[in-house]
Amino acid sequence: MEQIIFYILAAVAVIGTVLAISEKHPVHAILYLVTSLFAVAVVFYLLMAPLVAVFEVILYAGAIMVLFLFVIMMLDLGHPEKGFSPHWREWLPALLLSLVSIASLVMVIVSRHSQLAVPAAQSIPIREVSRRLFQGHGVAVELISLQLLFALVGALYLGKQQASSPGLPPSSAPERVSGSEEKSP
Amino acid sequence: MLGTYLPILLVVLIAIIFGLVALTFSSLIGPKKKTALKLSPYESGCAPVGTARERFSIKFYLIAMLFILFDIEAVFLYPWAILYKKLGVFGLVEMGVFVVILFVGYIYVWKKGALEWE
Amino acid sequence: MGIEILGLPMMYYIAMVAKVLVAFLFVLLTVAYATYAERKIIGHMQVRLGPMRTGWHGLLQPIADGLKLFFKEEIIPSQASTFAFLIAPVIALVPAFMTFAVIPFGGVIEVAGYKIPLQVASYIDVASGKVYDVNVGVLYILAMSSLGVYGIVLAGWASNSKYSLMGGLRASAQLISYELSAGLAIVSVFMLSQTLSLNEIVNQQSSFNGLGWYIFKQPLAAFLFFICSIAEINRTPFDLPEAETELVSGFCTEYSSMKYAMFFMAEYANMITVCALTTTLFLGGWNGPFATVFPLLGLVYFVAKVYFLIFFCMWIRATLPRYRYDQLMHLGWKVLLPISLVNIVVTGIIGYFIK
Repeated sequence: MEQIIFYILAAVAVIGTVLAISEKHPVHAILYLVTSLFAVAVVFYLLMAPLVAVFEVILYAGAIMVLFLFVIMMLDLGHPEKGFSPHWREWLPALLLSLVSIASLVMVIVSRHSQLAVPAAQSIPIREVSRRLFQGHGVAVELISLQLLFALVGALYLGKQQASSPGLPPSSAPERVSGSEEKSP
Repeated sequence: MLGTYLPILLVVLIAIIFGLVALTFSSLIGPKKKTALKLSPYESGCAPVGTARERFSIKFYLIAMLFILFDIEAVFLYPWAILYKKLGVFGLVEMGVFVVILFVGYIYVWKKGALEWE
Repeated sequence: MGIEILGLPMMYYIAMVAKVLVAFLFVLLTVAYATYAERKIIGHMQVRLGPMRTGWHGLLQPIADGLKLFFKEEIIPSQASTFAFLIAPVIALVPAFMTFAVIPFGGVIEVAGYKIPLQVASYIDVASGKVYDVNVGVLYILAMSSLGVYGIVLAGWASNSKYSLMGGLRASAQLISYELSAGLAIVSVFMLSQTLSLNEIVNQQSSFNGLGWYIFKQPLAAFLFFICSIAEINRTPFDLPEAETELVSGFCTEYSSMKYAMFFMAEYANMITVCALTTTLFLGGWNGPFATVFPLLGLVYFVAKVYFLIFFCMWIRATLPRYRYDQLMHLGWKVLLPISLVNIVVTGIIGYFIK
């Protein structure tokens, strides 16, 4: 039962991501991305990590994607349906990099299979997660708070700049934020 | 685990089916007398001017950005809150520093006038 | 009863389907009659009678309204983005209904020798008699309410009308601002309860017949949370997105027939969720005198508390005028956010000394 649900969700996540990349209309692409993130969140829940699942929805689907939506609506891209698709040469680096990552993934899976050491997922109590986070990684927590402060100042200046010279799109400021988030449980 | 999430999946399923069925039925049943004027966007009875897809205030971008940052702070507060009695003074000071650093940022943003709406 | 599917007894599945259907019908009926009650209550507060024609004292009014909306023409504006326009009401409605799955609305009842906890997403371990529910219950509700913003912002954007876009943007900015303060306000509840499971939070409030409720230990948090929640569900005095004097009808200006009804239903379902969550977190949930002895009494207490809070929302609507948008953002970011942060710090220090 859980395996069936897992494969359905995995399919939803992969298809959602592919559609998000191939869709030319940015708002529709965001919808697909949200669907994909939501499916990934449920997969986390199935893997006995409810805290990560909920944070995935609250932060990625509920906060960062809203920012993306605002930025896309703010830029007013006109009729992106009529836009041109990138030339094959521009695809080449991306294709190469994705091939490398797929190859390494396959190697990991193959080497894991030979060892036959995949322990059954065990539910860790939330208190255990937070005990490890706050006792074992206290410095990291403080560093994240500093990073959030930097992001705050950076966002403020991007916003300020925008007010004086409209026309420049705000660059990808949330990257730093999402990067810091990955260290949490 | 199965016992707790199966009902949620059922609720999602029922809610989606309910929504789609209601949409389909009402669009099948209702009258269909469409005219160009009826389908034009509402602008207080005047002919629509220009398009709605215009640039809007940078303010909304800032609000969304601040929301993400404070949301991450809240996300760190939840696991801390359910354990803070066990973490003792160390945990209290740890989170105190965390909150104070962000509070400095909050006051900075306030003083720079990012929270003003005119 | 001996049959088991996937490690759970057959009775579990029967109880699950029954609970889901009952909860769903309860919400639908409450939504329908909340609209009626709102018109009636505000009518009487303003020395009017409210709906009187359809049925005895207008009791059939919600059914008449529903049927009318069902048979109305469905209009998709020619400039709208059809896909997003059609999907937006469903996106608004589904999270509103999903939140009910985790709220405990009663204790454990016994049917035909099998114990059933009155909470949709939960099961009872027959051997130990312990009730398991979603161990991140409150965060689940926060996550669902953070998804609700998509319905609104998409509706505003897809309509491709100026009023809709402004309404949708304002609504989403308001929603995320107040969601933040609401999320911070309940941190102090977690600091008292030391758990995220709604079932355990309710159990911890059962002491002293009402004096153990968290509203007495955390009055400020309860106040903040309720205000922020009212703002989050766009109700008066925070119903700026639908301020008809300036924005016609906000993000649902271009919507008609059943799609409009679905936004309406989502709004009222969200109101019920907020009232149920406030009841669970601060008013002791289904606790009350003799509720542990007679579990069905707990159900009555729960519904009574939720209905009282819904009445309170309507009372506020009849009493207070609407905020201006800059005042609204000012209140959210400069007043409620720092107060909820300070509340956490104060709770932390006091809690450390009291133990």
